[in-house]
Amino acid sequence: MAQAQFSKEEIDAVFPAVAATMADALGCDVEEVKPDASLIEDLGAESIDFLDMVFRLERAFKVKIPRGKIVENARGTLSEAEFEQHGIVTEAGMVQLRAYMSEVPEARFKTPMKVKDIPRLFTPETFCKLVIGAQREVKAGG
Amino acid sequence: MGITAADAGASARMADSVQPAGTTEHFAAFSFVDRIIDLVPGKSARGVFAIPAALDTFASCLVAEATGQLAAWVAMAHIAFRGRPVAALANETRFLADPAPGQTLELAVDIEHCDDEAVAYRGQAHAGGVKLLELVDCLGPMLPCAEFDAPEALAARFDLLCAAGAPAGRFHGIAPIRLVSGETIAGERAAATLFVPESAPFFADHFPRRPVFPATLLLDQQIRLALDLAATTAHWPAGTRVRPARMTHVKVRAFMPPGSVLELSAEMAPMSAEPSPTAASAASTSAASAPTTAAANIRLAAHMDAKQVASARLEVAAKVPT
Repeated sequence: MAQAQFSKEEIDAVFPAVAATMADALGCDVEEVKPDASLIEDLGAESIDFLDMVFRLERAFKVKIPRGKIVENARGTLSEAEFEQHGIVTEAGMVQLRAYMSEVPEARFKTPMKVKDIPRLFTPETFCKLVIGAQREVKAGG
Repeated sequence: MGITAADAGASARMADSVQPAGTTEHFAAFSFVDRIIDLVPGKSARGVFAIPAALDTFASCLVAEATGQLAAWVAMAHIAFRGRPVAALANETRFLADPAPGQTLELAVDIEHCDDEAVAYRGQAHAGGVKLLELVDCLGPMLPCAEFDAPEALAARFDLLCAAGAPAGRFHGIAPIRLVSGETIAGERAAATLFVPESAPFFADHFPRRPVFPATLLLDQQIRLALDLAATTAHWPAGTRVRPARMTHVKVRAFMPPGSVLELSAEMAPMSAEPSPTAASAASTSAASAPTTAAANIRLAAHMDAKQVASARLEVAAKVPT
């Protein structure tokens, strides 16, 4: 899979609806949902919230978002073995992760990074990219 | 389903034979589907539950539970009982009319999505030609079935429900849950401490291998707290009788084991001046309840060991004297 690229215009176009959906799911004010906020650290999201947000976004944007898509997208052209070894993201994987999650401040990329901790990096913008990717697939399929 | 009465009998015997020891209340103390009809596997189902006439009352939250249980049966069967929905998100529950003992609940669910991760569904319940309740955009995360119950017992029970149905009348009500009032400011907020019992018949059914306090019983107590608070507001004349109209954003985040102590809170949110669509709908569709007018909005939360375990928003409406 080629590394997906997302323009600022594309992200700006979906962000208001993504932010409103997330605020509704998390029970917070929409103003708190900044593009680069950590959903877990800053907004208190838990695993059930991620499930909630994915289903809400699917309804709001009328798209299907396959589970585990974020990590798969973040992996880009790397194979699973190239991306992670024994549950730890490889050096090449970290480069790919930083590129995909360009909105995440550098200080949040801890090394070594466990694959299971990748969701700690997720931001509202990460979900914008997820939605845009799903919209592209709808257009490609239609 | 192509299941015969003889199969159903065998299923019933199997359900008994694989029932965990000491759980005579299994499929009785907290089971609210007597029979499943019109099943479209993985897609939709209708079911019935006879509310025992001997009960004093049957809470609307149990109607929601019954509807959710029907969705759970369809979902569990769809994934061959590998997982079961536990805990829940309910984006919207519309309370339209009150159920009464002796009525038969007619349940219907539409499954919007179902796999090993989650079931998404909507549903409704009628009784006597009146719509009692509607569930919109509900989501149940799937957890390994075997952690909570015997998958083979659930499969056998499902076969029974889809065939001849289970014997009705095995639900004997819920003993009062101990609730101690806390700091309350009339018209603003209320608090209470809920003591989950160490033992209760419903734990044998919810769930045999891992007892968990049912979220719907928590929501029932939260609604009671909210109604008491709503009655103290200046939004309507003193003495106004109020009822739940719509519950939104229900999210249960953690298991509540036997003996848990839960801190409940209810806080008034900005009120709407006009009757909400749901309150108006309740007024026009409910034959069993008094019509409603205006609405108050209340935010509900429950904490256990300082961690939020459940949250919801409740729209309360006034009953108009008839």
